[in-house]
Amino acid sequence: MDEILAEFIAETLETLELLSGEVVAWERDPTDKARLDAFFRFFHTVKGSCGFLNLPRFERLAHAAEEVLAAIRRSERTAEPATITAVLAVMDRIGALARSAGEGEAPGIPEADDDALLDALQLASDGFEIFTPRNTPPAPIREATPQPDRPVEAPPAIAADDPHRRAGAPRSIRLPLSLIDQLMNGISDMVLARNDLARRMRDQGVDPELEGSFERLSANVADLRDMISKTRMQRVDRLYAAIPRMVRDLGRELDKKVMLDLDGGDVEMDREMIEMVLDPLTHIVRNALDHGIETPAERRAVGKDEAGRLRLVARQSGNQIMIEVSDDGRGINRAALVEKAIAADLCTAADAALMSEADKLALIFHPGLSTAERVTAVSGRGVGMDVVRANIEQIGGVITVDSLPGRGTTITLRVPLTLTIIPGLIVRAGAHYFAMPRGNVVELLHDNSAMVAIEQVGGARIATIRGERHSLVALEDVLGLPIAIDPPGPRTLMVVRSSGGRPYVLGVQSVESNEELVIRPASPAVTAAGVFAGMTLPDNGQPMLLLDAAGIAEVAGLPLRDAEGQSALRAAAPEAEKPAETIQALMYRERDGRQRLIPLSVVDRVEDLPAARLVRTGDGAFVRIEDRLLPALNAGDDPGATIKSLRLHDGHSQICYLIDDVLDIVAAPARLDVALRGPRIAGLVMVGDAQYEMIDPFAIFAEVARAAAPGGVRPIRCHIADAEDPWMRNILAPLLVQAGHDVSIGETGHVAPDVILRGDTRGGSADAPVLVLSADAADASAIYRYDRVGLMAAIARVAGSAA
Amino acid sequence: MTDTLFLFALVAQTPIAVRAGEVEAVVRLGEIVPVPLVPAHVRGLAALRSRVLTVIDMEAQISGAAPRPAPSMLAIVADIAGHSYGFCVDALSDICHAEMGVQPMRGRIDPAWAPFVGGLVERAGRSHLLVTLADFVATPAGTPLAA
Repeated sequence: MDEILAEFIAETLETLELLSGEVVAWERDPTDKARLDAFFRFFHTVKGSCGFLNLPRFERLAHAAEEVLAAIRRSERTAEPATITAVLAVMDRIGALARSAGEGEAPGIPEADDDALLDALQLASDGFEIFTPRNTPPAPIREATPQPDRPVEAPPAIAADDPHRRAGAPRSIRLPLSLIDQLMNGISDMVLARNDLARRMRDQGVDPELEGSFERLSANVADLRDMISKTRMQRVDRLYAAIPRMVRDLGRELDKKVMLDLDGGDVEMDREMIEMVLDPLTHIVRNALDHGIETPAERRAVGKDEAGRLRLVARQSGNQIMIEVSDDGRGINRAALVEKAIAADLCTAADAALMSEADKLALIFHPGLSTAERVTAVSGRGVGMDVVRANIEQIGGVITVDSLPGRGTTITLRVPLTLTIIPGLIVRAGAHYFAMPRGNVVELLHDNSAMVAIEQVGGARIATIRGERHSLVALEDVLGLPIAIDPPGPRTLMVVRSSGGRPYVLGVQSVESNEELVIRPASPAVTAAGVFAGMTLPDNGQPMLLLDAAGIAEVAGLPLRDAEGQSALRAAAPEAEKPAETIQALMYRERDGRQRLIPLSVVDRVEDLPAARLVRTGDGAFVRIEDRLLPALNAGDDPGATIKSLRLHDGHSQICYLIDDVLDIVAAPARLDVALRGPRIAGLVMVGDAQYEMIDPFAIFAEVARAAAPGGVRPIRCHIADAEDPWMRNILAPLLVQAGHDVSIGETGHVAPDVILRGDTRGGSADAPVLVLSADAADASAIYRYDRVGLMAAIARVAGSAA
Repeated sequence: MTDTLFLFALVAQTPIAVRAGEVEAVVRLGEIVPVPLVPAHVRGLAALRSRVLTVIDMEAQISGAAPRPAPSMLAIVADIAGHSYGFCVDALSDICHAEMGVQPMRGRIDPAWAPFVGGLVERAGRSHLLVTLADFVATPAGTPLAA
C-alpha cells in the first residue's frame, strides 16, 4: 500500500510539474481545448487514485475541480480568469498536500482551509469576482507551493513567509535548459582559455609559485565542468515513473494481466533526451499491451501463463542508451502486415514475396499500417509506429523491431547521448583525428602483435585474435581517406563493440590520446554520412568528430549479425524468400575421422588436455579440469599423449567433447536440410558443396544428464567419517567442495552418501562404498592422500559403480 | 523595420542579400577541419570559441563543384534547427536597410541559383539575390524553393 501511495504522490507531483508549464499558457487562452483536457485528466486521475487509496481530502478537492472543468468542457460554463485561478489554487493545494504526504508529515494546512478553495470554485462559477486583495485564500495557497514547481509563474507569492513549509520543501529549483547550455559553453570556453594559458606558460617558463596557483585554478575549472555536466543528467527512473501506473490502468481496461519488469532505472541520460523519449516509449508500451499481450483466456489456450510479461530494460552502450521493450505476447503478424501493405498500395505482391522477414516487420513503421483488426481506444488510431520512429530518428536514434509469432515482440530504441561528457580515445587516420567513445573499445593492440593474425580472403579482411575471428576494416577505408604509406609505427587495431552486433576490429594509424570529451550533436549535414555520432571540441581547440561504432560497421558493410542475411543478396535470389539464416558452426574431425559440425555458440573453448587428466569409469569418462570433473564424451580407448577437447557449455554445466582436431569455423544454415533422429546428430546441413552432420547439443547434454541422473554421479555426495581428523576436515573437505561435490562430515548426514571417505580406521559400512585414504604412499590397499588425480578418479569411479 | 534590414555579401562573384534576422554574426574563421564522407558543400568544422560550426560553402552548393580555396575565411554565422553553421562568403559588402524591401525576381535566372533565390533586394542601385541560409543546409537533391 505504501508503495502505491508513494507512487501516486510521485506521479501527482510529476504531473503537476509538467502542467505547471502549461498554466501560464492556459491562463492566456482558457479556450485552449488541449490544455483544458490535460488539466481535466489530471484531476480525474487524482480523483480516481484517491478513491482507491482512501485519501478523502484529495478526492474532495479533485472532484470539485473536475466538476468545474467538466462543465467548461460541456460549455456550460466559461473559463473566466477567476475560475481558472480557483482551479489553479486547487492544483497548488493538491501539490502541497502531496508533498507533505510524501515526506510523511501531517499536512501543514488545516483541512478547513480547503473549504475556502471549494467555495472559491463555486463562487467563481456564479460569476463573482472572489480573488480581491481583501480575500486572502490565494495567498496562503501559493505560499504553500514550494519553489521547485512554480518559480516562474508565481515568484512574488512564494516570497511570503511560511517557515514551516519552506523548511520541509526540497531544495531544488527549475532552470531553463538553455541556461545550463550557456553555462556549459562558458565552462568550455574557460577550459580552452586555460589550455592556451598553460601552453604559453610552458613556452615561457614561469616561477613555480605562479604555476602552483595556476594548477589550483586549473583543477577548479575541471571540477566545475564535471559538476555542470552532471546537471544535465537524469536517471532513467524518471522515464519509468509513469509506466507502472499506465500498465495497471491499461491492463484493467483491456482485461489483461501483465507483470511489469523495469530494469536499468539507474542508467543516466540527458534530461532533454528523457523528455524526447518519453512519448515514443509510452506509445510502445501501450502497443505492447493492446496488441501484443493476449487476454488471459487466449494465453491459457496457447499454454502460456495467464499474466503476460512486459519488460523494459535500459542500458548504456558506448555513446548510446539502449531501451528495450519486450513482451511475450502474440508477436507481430507479418502476413497481415504484408496484406495491408499490398492493400494500401505500398508494395505489390511480387515485392512482398521478395521481402525478408525483417523488411516485413519494418512495414510496421509505415504510416497508416496497424495490424490490429479493430481500432481500439488505447492505440491504433492511425498515429502509430511511424510517428514513434519519426520522433526517435529526430533525436538521432534508431528503432528496431524483432518479433517471433506467438512468442512476443521486442522493440529496441537506441538513442545517442548528446551533450554529455564521455571518455574518448583520440585516433588518427591519415591527416585526420577522430574521437571514439572509450566505452565502445574492448581492446587495443598493434597489428604486429603476436596475438593477432590478419588475413585477406576474397576481399574480406579478417583479424583473428586469440582464436576468434573478427571483421577487420581500416578507418581510412571507411572514410575514404588515404592510408599513410610510411607510418612511423605499427598500426593500431581497436576491437570495437557496437550496439549493432558482434564486435569488429577497426584499424587506425594510431591512438593519440585519451580525453574526456564534451559531445554535442553534429549537424544533419554531417550525421548524414552515417559514421559520426557527434562533434566535440577537445582541449586543443580543434573541432573533432566522434565516430559512431555501429554506423561504421554499417557503412563498411560488415556482417555483424550472425542470424541476419543481407537484403540485397536475397533480392538477387528470389527463391530464397526465407532469410538464409546462418549460425556459426565449428567444423571438426571426430576421433573416428568423420567431419562434423557443432554450433559454435555452445563451444566454450577448445583445449589440449594431457591424457592423464582423462579418467574412465564404468559407464562414462571424466576429465579433470581445475579440480573439477567434467563428463567426457568420446573417451575411446587410446587417448594418445594429449587429447583435444571441445568444452561445451549450456549455461550451467560443462561437458568435454573429445575430438581429433578442429578444422574451421563456418557459417552453416540454421535450418537443417535433412533432420535426422540419430543419437547426438540433429541432421544434415549443406556447407559449401558438401553435406555435414550437425551435432545436436541438446542430445549431448541430455545424454550426459541421463547418465548422471540415476546414479547421482555429479555432484557426488561424499561423507567424511572422521570428523576429528584435521586433514580430512581442513584439507580434503574444501578440495571436494571445490571439485563440485557435496560433503558431509561426522555422523552420516540426512542423505545417504555415495561414497564414504576414511583415514586409517578400517570399518565397513552398509550404506555406501568406502574409500580408504592413507598418508603412506606405499600403502597399496589404500589411496595415497596426496594423489589428487587418483583420489578424484577413485571417488568418481566408486560413486559411479555404486549407481 | 527589421524586415528591410539585410546583410549584403558576395558569393561566387554574385551579390546576395540575407535577411538580417537570420544572421547571428559574421566572423573570420580559423582553421577548418575537413569532414570525410559528406557532400562537397560541407567544408568541415570550425571552432568559434567553444562552439563548433559546420562550415557550408555556398558556392559549392550552388555550382555543385568542389570547393576552391577561399580567398578569405569570412563566414556568416547562423543557428538553424538548433545547430550552428558558418556560411562562407567571398566578401561582405554592408548591412543596411533596403527601403524597397524584397522585389520579385526579374529575368531568367541561372538554374543553379534558382532553388535558392527568393527575390531581389536593391542596394546602392544594384540588385542582389535574396537567399535564405537554411536552404543551403539541405542536400542539393532535396532543396526546397526559397521562401
